[in-house]
Amino acid sequence: MRRILAGLIVISLLSLNCDRNHVYSQTKAATQEALQIVLPNKKESVHFAVFGDMGTGELPQKQLADLMWQTRQVFPFDAVLMTGDNLYGSESPRDYERKFSQPYQQLLAAGVKFYASLGNHDNSNQRFFKDFNMKGKEYYTFKKGNVRFFALNSNYMDQPQLSWLEEELKKSGSEWKICFFHHPPYSSGKQHGSDKELRKVVEPLFLKYGVSVVFTGHEHFYERIKPQQGISYFVTGAGGKLRPGDVRPSNFTEKAFDQDQHFMLIEVIEDQLHFQVIARTGKTIDSGIITRQEIKGP
Amino acid sequence: MNQQDNNTASSYSRYFKEVGVLFCLATLFILPLNYIYAQQETPASNTVLKGIYEHINSYLKLREQSVKNLSKPSGKSEPEKIHAYETALEDNLRTARVNASRGEIFTPEVANHIRKVIRQEFKGQRLQELRKEVSESETKGMPLRVNYPYPEQKEMLEMPPTLLLKLPALPQQLRYRFVGSNLLLMDREARIILDYMPEALP
Repeated sequence: MRRILAGLIVISLLSLNCDRNHVYSQTKAATQEALQIVLPNKKESVHFAVFGDMGTGELPQKQLADLMWQTRQVFPFDAVLMTGDNLYGSESPRDYERKFSQPYQQLLAAGVKFYASLGNHDNSNQRFFKDFNMKGKEYYTFKKGNVRFFALNSNYMDQPQLSWLEEELKKSGSEWKICFFHHPPYSSGKQHGSDKELRKVVEPLFLKYGVSVVFTGHEHFYERIKPQQGISYFVTGAGGKLRPGDVRPSNFTEKAFDQDQHFMLIEVIEDQLHFQVIARTGKTIDSGIITRQEIKGP
Repeated sequence: MNQQDNNTASSYSRYFKEVGVLFCLATLFILPLNYIYAQQETPASNTVLKGIYEHINSYLKLREQSVKNLSKPSGKSEPEKIHAYETALEDNLRTARVNASRGEIFTPEVANHIRKVIRQEFKGQRLQELRKEVSESETKGMPLRVNYPYPEQKEMLEMPPTLLLKLPALPQQLRYRFVGSNLLLMDREARIILDYMPEALP
């Protein structure tokens, strides 16, 4: 009797697994069908992706990572900006594997470089990890084509970091200046909302030195903010985590989406930045063009 | 009254007007300056700050000893190396500071100075917002023990940048953090709590 029971359990588990695989492959096919790139996709332009709050090690993160890989076959980006909360919870070597290296293994193997910034769930020692490309620093800068990127540590915006930022912005000339970090200076999230304290110290520098675009996370949804004094702010914090129903659109919301995980694709062509936001289903939830911000000057 | 008297009267009136304007301008500019200077360091607060930096410098010397035989990761390290470094540093520091207790760095004088700085910086709506953020963070029920590591599962709340600009500046190895209304002093890499002061947030 026991053997029969055990046999029945094994059979039902196997059929359940088959069902799940069937549903997963059906979903994957539907996703591929929904996926359409609306960016110019020119060979000589700067291509990259952006996402945040991804490091859960759970299925939605993996599904989004698969979709990013599929997207890369048509839109060949070679860099990914991470807006923080790269590894939730413990950070043992096994966690690095489960929450980062394994989900993005195809992208990593193809030579895609991930550039991390630190969130409130991240250990500062992540700055040493080779695949986060932080050069051992909590804040750093790098350049791709005509774009200069600034990764900031919004957990601890002290005087040395602010002085560094001003110096680097001053040095970087008139190319595109894009900042990315964790806490959003503008957000319509119920959970957190705008980080006004941070805004007070960073926005004057962004304005003074002509930062055009800012990517942040922390809130587990997507929000595009109406340009604030010429600066385009994005909240992209649902690369793994999701907080459905958390956006309470405000007077500065241009577009918001909190029903699924997502990532952003960016293409910079001369003075224009094209963006497309793709949900886990493959559906495009937002897209548009931003023109480069002129330096207001000191 | 002849023409000359009229001219003299009008020049006096112009003179008093100008003096009046200058006085108003001086009041507008000088009073706030006095206020700003009053907020800055006084000899008493300098003594307090000297005290905190003496303790911090002793800690840094101890830390230098604890780190010198360790292989520090670079920006191109594997997770195993990062983990080994963090664990070894934590062990070394905890052993070296086995008798550390609360209030050694945040002495009563230092704690009072810091409370004063926080009270001056955060008032009204801003204080309420900070309190709300701290109370809603994922640090609830976190045990605070000097010389013990900050729990890996708990988030580290962002420090308000405007406050960081006012608190005694720290070397890059150390960090301030809020947990509830407590202010912690932590080692950035070893993630151990070096000291904490209660009721930092009013």
